[in-house]
Amino acid sequence: MSDPAALREAACVLPAERVIAALEGTFAAWRAPGSAWRDALARACPVWSRAAIERGVCDGLDGWTADVLRALRRRELENARAPALAAVWLAGTVPTGTFSALALPLLAGCAVQAKPASSDPETPRLFAASLRECDAGVADALALDADDSALDEADAVVAYGSDETVRILRGRAGARPFVGYGHKLSAAAVGRDADLAGAAERAALDVCLWDGRGCLSPAWIFVDDPDGERTGAFGEALSTALERLRTDIPRGALQAGEAVALRERRAREALRSPACWFPSGEGSSDWGVFVAGGEAAAPGTLRNVPLVSVEGIDGLAARCTSLAPGLSSLGHEGFGGERRLLEVARAGGGSRVCALGRMQLPPIDWPHDGMGALQPVVPQT
Amino acid sequence: MSAARESRKDLDDQVLAWIADGVDAPADEARFDALARALFLHQFEYNEPYRRLCTAFGRAPEGVGHWSEIPSVPTGAFKEARLAAFPEAETVRVFRTSGSTTERRGELHLDTLALYDASLRATFRAWVCPDPEPVRILVMATPLRDAPDSSLSYMFDAAVRDLGSDDSAMLFGHGGLDMAIAMTALQRARTPVAICGTAFAFVHLIDGMRAVGLKLALPDGSRVMETGGFKGRSRELSREELHGGISEALGVPPDAILNQYGMCELGSQFYEPTLRTGVVTTRKRIPPWVRTRVVDPEHLRDVPEGEPGLLVHYDLANTGSVLAVQTADEGTLTAEGLEVRGRIAGAEARGCSIAADALLGGG
Repeated sequence: MSDPAALREAACVLPAERVIAALEGTFAAWRAPGSAWRDALARACPVWSRAAIERGVCDGLDGWTADVLRALRRRELENARAPALAAVWLAGTVPTGTFSALALPLLAGCAVQAKPASSDPETPRLFAASLRECDAGVADALALDADDSALDEADAVVAYGSDETVRILRGRAGARPFVGYGHKLSAAAVGRDADLAGAAERAALDVCLWDGRGCLSPAWIFVDDPDGERTGAFGEALSTALERLRTDIPRGALQAGEAVALRERRAREALRSPACWFPSGEGSSDWGVFVAGGEAAAPGTLRNVPLVSVEGIDGLAARCTSLAPGLSSLGHEGFGGERRLLEVARAGGGSRVCALGRMQLPPIDWPHDGMGALQPVVPQT
Repeated sequence: MSAARESRKDLDDQVLAWIADGVDAPADEARFDALARALFLHQFEYNEPYRRLCTAFGRAPEGVGHWSEIPSVPTGAFKEARLAAFPEAETVRVFRTSGSTTERRGELHLDTLALYDASLRATFRAWVCPDPEPVRILVMATPLRDAPDSSLSYMFDAAVRDLGSDDSAMLFGHGGLDMAIAMTALQRARTPVAICGTAFAFVHLIDGMRAVGLKLALPDGSRVMETGGFKGRSRELSREELHGGISEALGVPPDAILNQYGMCELGSQFYEPTLRTGVVTTRKRIPPWVRTRVVDPEHLRDVPEGEPGLLVHYDLANTGSVLAVQTADEGTLTAEGLEVRGRIAGAEARGCSIAADALLGGG
């Protein structure tokens, strides 16, 4: 178990610029050509393919620069004093999500005592090691502990996980500042102005990066389909794109239980969907596209994604509203202006709209769940 | 006679002839391959949902050169469609999987029970009741009249009907195991009995006997067959604990206690051959008209012999539905037989979208 006093002490002597430089250097090390950190992550986490890590980390950390970090600090922490020690309860989510979960409280000026998810102890460990290699002094303000002792010691608590986990941790936090990020899902929307082939290429990338495991992965793709033909045409195009990415960015390894559940899901979808596309051959479950027939299509997962026909922006709004408050991001193409789409996303609980192909690449200063990147954990004065 | 009926009758006759040869008939590979592929052709043609499934995954009869290439159907698909190769009007019985009230249950539609009965008779006789005369069978499971869609209840009913003596009895009442009836029947046993039932029923029996400090010594030649697992209906015991408890409570030696493995979606069952060999084993015999592959769940490729993997069964007795059934069970296969380790745990998947999927009731 880490020493909370030592962590506080390590953080309080760090100038903001030094933390910013260390974080930028760490992100750069992960992005660098031939990065040993990416290599180590690929070896430690077979749940991701090497190609997915290459693409997901390099593209995902693009733009996580000192200027952006500095501006974020200035924007959100103008008159604020960070808690000395933040406990961060991590969920086993995608690597870039873990990076930002650890980096943001450091950027705010907190020492961080984090509890890695039992399903993924490796990503935080590698991030901490890469930070140490960049600046040991900054790394001294970050500790990873397998137990939950930090919850009682910290001055603020940041929790990622299931809604139940967040609820429990909120109770443990008591009167201290608490930020909880429960489970959410994202959706993609293909409007009638979209070029179907191009939109399919970009949506396929969103589906494939992190294999549909993250909360920014499109769990549904809504297709504006006034004539009843575009959904099928998009499905055809998407299946072509997914088949290509199957070799370019292979899916990571599945656990046995996941594989069994996925096979059952695919068979059931094939039996009830009016149209579906799968790789040829019984052996591969690498991707699947199916047109949802019923009203409540179950969310897609592991590169198997349902298409849902909607009519215009109102139809999309109705679908998004029905997801409230569980929507995270809305990727879109050919649906008109972002302003209206942001309203649509917000109606579902979403806080971000972006172009298709960018769903997995949120900027680090993204106001996650609409709460601001740093503000929630820092009492404003 | 229609082409479908004619084709089906021919297949049924061939499978019945093989089953009639008994469990000691050679597991003739060429015979199995030819019959399995002929059956697949029939099912592809006349089982519309199965054909739809095969087509969706790019599989057709022309691509199947060996029985192991016949497309298998996950058991979950039986919850989604009527996977039958005959018209609904010809259904004579529907077996349903157990399940919660909210969950849709899997269904196996049958237009004849002849194959099920024949397979059961051959295997049950071989591994549970090899006696030359009918045996007194005591059943600890819901009677068929109370659960007409339970394959387990049907199986026990058929076993009693075909192989049991006239004084065979059901030890279950409406509320489950009737301890008074069970105690009386067991205490009065003067000739060998075959006690058959679900694992959880045996747990209740053991607990009930312990509660009153009762231990029995059933007549020599008595035997126990347990099946079906626990499914949250009693405290769970390991196989060793269960068989040890049964042996202690009933005075039946361990080599007279065996486990059976079956599924609602299959016409045939698998038994430990303990009674015949006198050797306690967890490896079950596979009837000659059945094949089992052990595959890796992600790619459905065969794992090396003895390695654990997902079980896929190819049961020729399933002429009216689909012969290739993909389970959610893990097991190993060696020359000595099949060991079933239990259901593959629905491992908690990594990633928040998957957990949310569960929250939303998907998947």
